[in-house]
Amino acid sequence: MSTTPPIPVGATAQPPAAPSDAERIARLRQPRMRPGRWIAEIGWRHVVGLAVVVFATFPLIYVLSASLNPGGTLTGSNALFREISIANYVDLLSDPRRPYARWFLNTMVVGVVTSVGTVFLGALAAYAFSRMRFTGRRIGLLSLLLVQMFPQLLAVVAIYLLMQGVGEVFPLLGLDSLAGLILVYLGGALGVNTYLMYGFFNTVPASIDEAAKIDGAGHARIFFTIILRLVAPILAVIGLLSFVGTTSEFVISSALLTSPENLTLAIGLFRYVSEETSTNYPVFAAGAVLAAIPVVALFLYLQRYIVAGLTAGSVK
Amino acid sequence: MAASAPARVRPRMLSGTLGLVAKIALLAIVDALAVFAILLLAGQGSWIVVAVVALVTVVVNVVYLLPGRFLPAKYLTPGLVLLGVFQVFVVLFSCYIAFTNYGFGHNSSKDDAISQLVEQNTSRVEDSPAYRVTVVEGAGGLGLLATSPDGDVSVGGPEQPLQELDEGQYDDEGGVAVAADGWTTLTTNEIVQRQSEIADLQVPFSDDLDEGFLVTADARNGYVFVSNLSYDEEADTLTNTDTGVVYVDGGDGAFVSPDGEELRPGWQVVVGLENFAYPFTSQSFGEALLSVTLWTFAFAALSVGLSFVLGLALAVTLNDPRLRGRNVYRVLAILPYAFPSFLSALVWLGLLNTEFGFVNQVLLGGASVPWLSDPIIAKISVLVVNVWLGFPYMFLVCTGALQSIPEEVTEAATVDGARGWAIFRLIKLPLLLVSIAPLLISSFAFNFNNFNIIYMLTRGGPRMGGVEQNVGHTDLLITLVYKVAFGGEGADYGLASALAIIIFVIVAVISAISFRQTRALEDLN
Amino acid sequence: MRPITSGSRRLLQLAAIGATGMMLVACSGGGGGDDDAGASGGEGGGTITVWMDQNRADALADVIAAFEEESGTTVEVVIKEFGDIAGDFVTQAPSGEGPDVVLAPHDALGNLVSNGVVSPIELGDAAGDFQEIAIEAMSYEGSVYGVPVSIENLALVRNTALAPEAPATWDDLVSTGQAAVASGAAQYPLLVGLDPNNADPYHLYPLQASFGGPLFALNEDGTYDGSDLQIGNEGNLEFASALQEWGTSGVLNLSISQDIAKEQFAAGASPYTITGPWSLEQFDEAGIEYAVDPIPSAGSLPATPLVGVQGFMLSSYSENSIVATQFITDYIASEDAQTAIYEAGDRAPALTAAFEAMPADSPTTAFGEIGSDAVPMPNVPEMAAIWDQWGATEAQIIGGQGDPTQLWTDMSTAIQSTIDGS
Repeated sequence: MSTTPPIPVGATAQPPAAPSDAERIARLRQPRMRPGRWIAEIGWRHVVGLAVVVFATFPLIYVLSASLNPGGTLTGSNALFREISIANYVDLLSDPRRPYARWFLNTMVVGVVTSVGTVFLGALAAYAFSRMRFTGRRIGLLSLLLVQMFPQLLAVVAIYLLMQGVGEVFPLLGLDSLAGLILVYLGGALGVNTYLMYGFFNTVPASIDEAAKIDGAGHARIFFTIILRLVAPILAVIGLLSFVGTTSEFVISSALLTSPENLTLAIGLFRYVSEETSTNYPVFAAGAVLAAIPVVALFLYLQRYIVAGLTAGSVK
Repeated sequence: MAASAPARVRPRMLSGTLGLVAKIALLAIVDALAVFAILLLAGQGSWIVVAVVALVTVVVNVVYLLPGRFLPAKYLTPGLVLLGVFQVFVVLFSCYIAFTNYGFGHNSSKDDAISQLVEQNTSRVEDSPAYRVTVVEGAGGLGLLATSPDGDVSVGGPEQPLQELDEGQYDDEGGVAVAADGWTTLTTNEIVQRQSEIADLQVPFSDDLDEGFLVTADARNGYVFVSNLSYDEEADTLTNTDTGVVYVDGGDGAFVSPDGEELRPGWQVVVGLENFAYPFTSQSFGEALLSVTLWTFAFAALSVGLSFVLGLALAVTLNDPRLRGRNVYRVLAILPYAFPSFLSALVWLGLLNTEFGFVNQVLLGGASVPWLSDPIIAKISVLVVNVWLGFPYMFLVCTGALQSIPEEVTEAATVDGARGWAIFRLIKLPLLLVSIAPLLISSFAFNFNNFNIIYMLTRGGPRMGGVEQNVGHTDLLITLVYKVAFGGEGADYGLASALAIIIFVIVAVISAISFRQTRALEDLN
Repeated sequence: MRPITSGSRRLLQLAAIGATGMMLVACSGGGGGDDDAGASGGEGGGTITVWMDQNRADALADVIAAFEEESGTTVEVVIKEFGDIAGDFVTQAPSGEGPDVVLAPHDALGNLVSNGVVSPIELGDAAGDFQEIAIEAMSYEGSVYGVPVSIENLALVRNTALAPEAPATWDDLVSTGQAAVASGAAQYPLLVGLDPNNADPYHLYPLQASFGGPLFALNEDGTYDGSDLQIGNEGNLEFASALQEWGTSGVLNLSISQDIAKEQFAAGASPYTITGPWSLEQFDEAGIEYAVDPIPSAGSLPATPLVGVQGFMLSSYSENSIVATQFITDYIASEDAQTAIYEAGDRAPALTAAFEAMPADSPTTAFGEIGSDAVPMPNVPEMAAIWDQWGATEAQIIGGQGDPTQLWTDMSTAIQSTIDGS
């Protein structure tokens, strides 16, 4: 461990939340600045902030506008919010050949199960790497990182054949099954995730374990009841990153899933714009907006953890 | 690797009975499933698989049942097993494929290829009649009872050429013979049960085998076929009976004629290092690959660099407690990262359309900048889109890192007379880089293989001229390999796997070196 | 060198079993194994697996139900994207787990046959019941592979409000189109869906054909000779020069994608578009008045489009080939099935009886009749190498990035070397 560790943001401290009362009071007490100084010190920050926000959001605003534009098309969507209607959303949800609601559900199931599984498996491994000393530990952690760098999407043929083999023995886990897809995703649960978690686990002082051990707690109890709570920020981060990654994954899922009721949003929505004979941009836009809502919501809900989790982990 | 290691830490075992019950129950389920799988596989005769399943099951039981032993393994096993199957195994399997010619025209075994070649080169005897047939069974096995268009009825089996029957020797129904003396007619169910046998049934038309065989594909209609390609098992050759050309196994997974004509389909064979050597033997592909490699490095480095600079600048800008509404700025600025990335790429595709896209039409007032079709502008476009996708992540990380730098550091520097920019450059930035470097490396590795953005936006285009393969100016190595493997020009899984391994080695070596450089793993051991 | 045996599949299975077993240690055994593994057919009637797209599956529901009832066989329909079927089939058939029957486009045939995944089907006299072009398209090296169901091809669709008369010549079309733009009645003289980087050789082919530019020489039986590439010949070079002219004058516009072309035509922004029957639904929905005409020749020969035929094919790995063949030859080839697919998909049926039963005044019929005089898309496997390079070169020429003759000649050389190399 390095000698002067920066403050472990998330380990024991609460993640930075909305400004505290003290901060607010401090702000109120500040004397009003003169305009010139205000521009030099604060004003330009608003300008930069606004510019970045415009850059960040205009494509998203465009999608939102396109999704609300009835009979709108790619070309007709340039006038933002000229008309507003929910027709595209109705079309999206009422096409029996493209069961959007079902895709949505599938995506949530795959995303949630994969991220929970990833967090759990990763935490188990990180605990072992962080708290136990064994031969091959260093090389093991490094190998985990490196193995994960093999581009899984290029191995899609091997994965396909593999899942076919699984399906012959356990049909519920074979091709065209969400459970099988989750298994494949969980194969990538270790790697960078373990590494990030490992860093964060190290910020939890070993004295906490020692104290619990003296009180008679076993390693499993220490892990489940003490450590997991203290590393909540990194768990949130890994869960979120895994959820985002899973919901966007396209190549493997499109190789494994076939029947329309088993598709995920990534595949289903892509087909809205890729099928040569029946592309439908506005309906795609509506689907994209709905698909983004849970991810964005989760993101905003967890964003304060991300800052804490990511950096504290990497510092170590 | 970890399983055999002696554990230096030996805390007590799971203490609660609840935990014990849960553990036993889980193990029991695993064992039951393993036994089920072993029985099923043993039935199929897959003994290697059976052995491995049994071995893994035993290891798992040992790890979880022997008290106090193999403690790290208890925590590592679940993840490692999945990793072993879905990453390591898949990587190894890809390595194996890389040494074969698996791909277009070579997708199966030699036996399959021979039977398909013979079948494809079978043709109906010209002007031969169409028979109505009934599948029957006699002493010598299955046979066909055939009624010609003229109403003549004959019967035969694989060993007995068709023989005409006299009236009275068969029953007919609507002009088609349905039963014959000495033969049993198969029921519909029996036909279904014995489909493969019936499909393989060939009844010689006469004693002269060159006159062809009566064959049925649907158990109702029969035609006389001759094959003009015959396989000689002894010599392992195929002979075209019309032209007399003899095709021999050329060693590359296909039958070839003396003048070099290859028969398709071929079959899979191990070709050694051929796939790895291809980039060096095909000059145009080698050159294209080189330029794609350079661009891949540039793309990954610039994406990380630009996202980092933008993210950091924004983090520094917004990291002032006096700034009102900075939480609003933060939330809005990270939206691109929260929006599913494959959707973003498709949205940008629309925005950047030359004629109708929002960017040209609205932002640039009707300009016609070829955002995605000019070699250089397309590169800039994909970079901009990728920075759009990536800067919020850097912004988040930098914000966190900045906040974790203790106030005292800044204060001390201020006391020493340092001012804003100097504090940032000399004190904050180095501290920040220390904590962020590992993330920059993994971000580099991610962008090196950033398939989605390129594939969805440009599919690698615009295309480079003068190269046989579909290589484009914005192709990354990974999209190039994907196109080689699954592209329209005939899948070549062998070459694709070889290239994938090369990419893997490049990324892994760079990452390993960088991690070493940043001493990210220094505190291990 | 050593042939690969089934050992590699075993290896995969091995890993697979390891995974599933161990997995359950980690995650509390949710799910578990389904004990009744293995497919069970209905009353010994067996099961056949058919891959097709959703549209045709819906159309064929009744026909499939009738087959199931009459034969006692269960038909398991697996819905796939139409464009994915052929590729996935090549990968999956050798494993023995693939389908018995697939619906695929005829131009995939060369690929499918070269990979040995389809079996020829002897149609006997029934071959005469189909449109000639459909059988021609489904033939490869002298054998017919499968039963064709529908025929699709391009034609000129004309907005009758903007252009009341069918253009007699290409110059007619261009001048009427440009006049409409000049008068403000339309925005585009003509709409052809193109891609900025890959143009669209399929949509541009009728024009190429009118300069007399074939891709391959023809065999005596009318099929293509994949070994005799003709793309670099005189007529094709003339076409290349014309392409650049049209690109410069704005008759062709690389920014107009298929979507935009459809959309804009439906919005009445152009008097003409070159498109196929798949666009008709959108035009009908938009409520514009249109007519379907043959594409006028830009050169000295008729502007014949390439015809695409979709058909049901039999897997050479099928273990149920008798029942599968019965399904294809008796049911898919029936007038009911062909008409159902025609009604669901706006494409002309391949069976002549169903073709002739189409209402004479319907646009689909007009498309079908134009297609009857055309040529099938080449189905030799060499095509795969050609489409990409062909399109990229067309895009460069239309975009004015160089001398058309030079670009086209380079392309011809590159394609030839790809073919020689493979």
